[in-house]
Amino acid sequence: MKKPKVAFFDFACCEGCQLQVANLGEDLLDILDTIDVVEFREVMTEKWDQGYDVAVIEGSITNEHAIEKIKRIRERSKILIAYGSCATIGGVNGMKNDFELNEIEAHVYQENAKHFKTVPTMAVSQVVKVDYFVNGCPIYPPEFITVLKCALAGLPYHVPDNVVCVECKINENICMYDKGVTCLGPVTKAGCNSWCINNGNVCYGCRGMVSNPNENSAKDVLSKYNISLDLIKNKMNMYNKCRELNKNEKDKS
Amino acid sequence: MEKIHINNSGYEIVPAKIVSTRKMTEQEKIFELKLVHGLSLDHEPGQFVEVSILGVGEAPISVCSSPTKRDSFEICVRAVKDGRFSNAMHNLDIGDEVGIRGPFGVGFPAAKLEGYDIIMVAGGLGIAPLRSLINYIIDNRREYGKVSLLLGCKDPQSMLFADEIDLWQKRVDINFSCTVDRGAPDWKGNVGLITSLIPNVNIDPERTYAVVVGPPVMYKFVIKELLSKGIPEHQILVSLERHMKCGLGKCGHCQIHNIYCCQDGPVFSYNNIKELKGAI
Amino acid sequence: MKNAILKKEKLDDFIKIMSKDEKVIAPVLKGNQSYTFTEVKSADEISLKYLPTILPPKKYFMPQHETLIEYDKRNGQKVHCVVEVEDLVIFGVHTCDLAGIQCLNMIFADRPKDMNYLIRKNRITLIGLECNSYCDEFASCALMGNHIPKGGYDLLFTDLGNYFFVEINTRKGEELIEKTNLFENADSNHQEELNKLRKLKESIFKPEVDIDKNEIPSLFKKKFESKIWEDIGERCLSCGNCTNVCPTCYCFDVLDIPDLNLKTGKRVRVWDSCQNEPFAKISGGESFREKRGDRKRHRFNRKFRYPVERYGKFFCTGCGRCSRTCMAKIDLKETIRDLIKEGN
Repeated sequence: MKKPKVAFFDFACCEGCQLQVANLGEDLLDILDTIDVVEFREVMTEKWDQGYDVAVIEGSITNEHAIEKIKRIRERSKILIAYGSCATIGGVNGMKNDFELNEIEAHVYQENAKHFKTVPTMAVSQVVKVDYFVNGCPIYPPEFITVLKCALAGLPYHVPDNVVCVECKINENICMYDKGVTCLGPVTKAGCNSWCINNGNVCYGCRGMVSNPNENSAKDVLSKYNISLDLIKNKMNMYNKCRELNKNEKDKS
Repeated sequence: MEKIHINNSGYEIVPAKIVSTRKMTEQEKIFELKLVHGLSLDHEPGQFVEVSILGVGEAPISVCSSPTKRDSFEICVRAVKDGRFSNAMHNLDIGDEVGIRGPFGVGFPAAKLEGYDIIMVAGGLGIAPLRSLINYIIDNRREYGKVSLLLGCKDPQSMLFADEIDLWQKRVDINFSCTVDRGAPDWKGNVGLITSLIPNVNIDPERTYAVVVGPPVMYKFVIKELLSKGIPEHQILVSLERHMKCGLGKCGHCQIHNIYCCQDGPVFSYNNIKELKGAI
Repeated sequence: MKNAILKKEKLDDFIKIMSKDEKVIAPVLKGNQSYTFTEVKSADEISLKYLPTILPPKKYFMPQHETLIEYDKRNGQKVHCVVEVEDLVIFGVHTCDLAGIQCLNMIFADRPKDMNYLIRKNRITLIGLECNSYCDEFASCALMGNHIPKGGYDLLFTDLGNYFFVEINTRKGEELIEKTNLFENADSNHQEELNKLRKLKESIFKPEVDIDKNEIPSLFKKKFESKIWEDIGERCLSCGNCTNVCPTCYCFDVLDIPDLNLKTGKRVRVWDSCQNEPFAKISGGESFREKRGDRKRHRFNRKFRYPVERYGKFFCTGCGRCSRTCMAKIDLKETIRDLIKEGN
């Protein structure tokens, strides 16, 4: 059987997710046994000018050039995987959307600003159809492998729509709230095996919010621990600013 | 950690080969399966099996063929959007293998129904589990009183087992009627809810068993109609759809109050579940 | 029935001798007043006074993640059913948690039997530890009658000051005592001290909710449509904390994990929770407990009513974990009190 052609691309991002893939170690060797990597900027210089069986996209879409590029990639790809917070939910790049675009351009590019036109940050799925999502900043490597297997087998992958607490408790972590620390686990999508909390960090909401959070209850919980709603909103916006674009769409329609 | 191999864990599967497939509608496909080594499934009408595609997972699917057909059995699979298992199943073809656990659960008490008039009501995909009973009764027709079959579905295009329905319709020993929610230009049958078919059936309530299988919304209305005809509660049988994940009465997904649908059901008599809120 | 005593200073030797041959598990402080059952090598790692651990010892009986079958479809559909086991001694299990294990035993021994559970269970030695007083205000062990030992252990330790009174309940327990050779026979004075403690406990442990335990199932039946469930649903985050930490919750999911070659792989079961929204969803998309309140009510009924009707056993042990861990402060005892208070 011919190995599927897989290409990795990056847009506005830190390339940290590519690094996670490059660091998979032994698993990477197994992956390379099953797929044919035709483009991967972090590890190779070759380019491929034909279609891709799978395109793996990192980074968010932040200018017209990127919009065109991602559309072209989509056209050439049978399957498109968005991976990492930037690609799946817009990620930290979304913070730009809090500012006026021309202010941002002027601030970053100063006198050259007119050459660097920018658009509000978008997740990949806000521009083209995405078949698979691997959330997280960075991606949780075992989940990436799971999704890759689904893509190769032609099976759907459902990102768990439960909160991170579900996995966190199974991992028997001490609740961050009991430690007096604010954690976004109670409203963030699971699937990362509570990776951060297992390692002593809090959840930053990098995987996006669950589709049906109990907002009233979340407020209750915050008040129990004496935490203001604004603080949580700010924390959530760090990764999740781009979801407002969808909301605006909905409001318009 | 030590690994022990066991052969009676309850999760072992028996391979089965797909010997034929039939596309019924845009969504539904029938698979005829043969267990390896000439094994017989030996199911009762109304029971289900856990079908597994290794690497994809397992799904509970009711057996839609009658146990009187012994050398193979059939299942009907509806492909649902984003359904991991159902779409993978639809991609399989003749000669491919799946794994089978079961049969599980309590089916229709075919022997107990002998000597009674039978009125069978099926809506939508409910025809699949009911078909095992219909064909069982046809094969043992002499043992039963009057047999009525009432079918309903969305529209003529989504009618399952259309060829067979044609045959049932032509039989003199079955009182057959059928309705669709939405007609089509060439549809000459009834249009309307399935409950509208019940008043036309001549029912002797004390000696009638009613068997109802359909989507969750259907039960309430059909049962109400049957009760108004005077059929005793314990003579109304229903088959409930739940997510039977393990089939062994453990995993909890199919639980309705204190009942495990996979072991205690899926077939229940109405008097046993009427108090259980949310059951129907 | 023979009893023994173990001087406290010999506990360390006891643990050390056992841990030479087997993994010894005991309650250990993890931080912030949170404890976990963890492997220990010596007695000083153990917290003899501890609040119920974050997860109950069920994690050793039905692990969070366990392989059910290994498959290979390169040559037909080859499947091996497997059980992953290891010999364990779990030391210091409170009587509430022992009651929880007894509940699980009953479920998994009920036909059709769950061999994975039953085989694993037989490889575990249980050493109980009696509570002399309440762990904290969340417990309702007296209401459920689990503040006193009711079997379910090989040995039961009761802390009587400078020694443990040890009830030998099984041959396995007796062998452990013979093997370690650290125990002395209990005499009538020791027995007298134990009786005194039990008497004292009667005055400490009182049913925490003012209701006859046998009335609870009918209370839940009567209150099935109560607005209280809706109110609780408003507060519930559906985080599943309550089910994960519950010593008697045993729901699971079964899923396939293929290897990268997509030909071999395994089928595993993982803990699942009736509090998760998709738990009771069928393939057609309909969910039979769509609302948080419905799910919460289901869980409470699965502790106080359904298993009583089905197995003649309460599935609440009174350990208090669900209330202790609930971020939304949904409190088990409060809920029962509210249901009583609401009247007819």
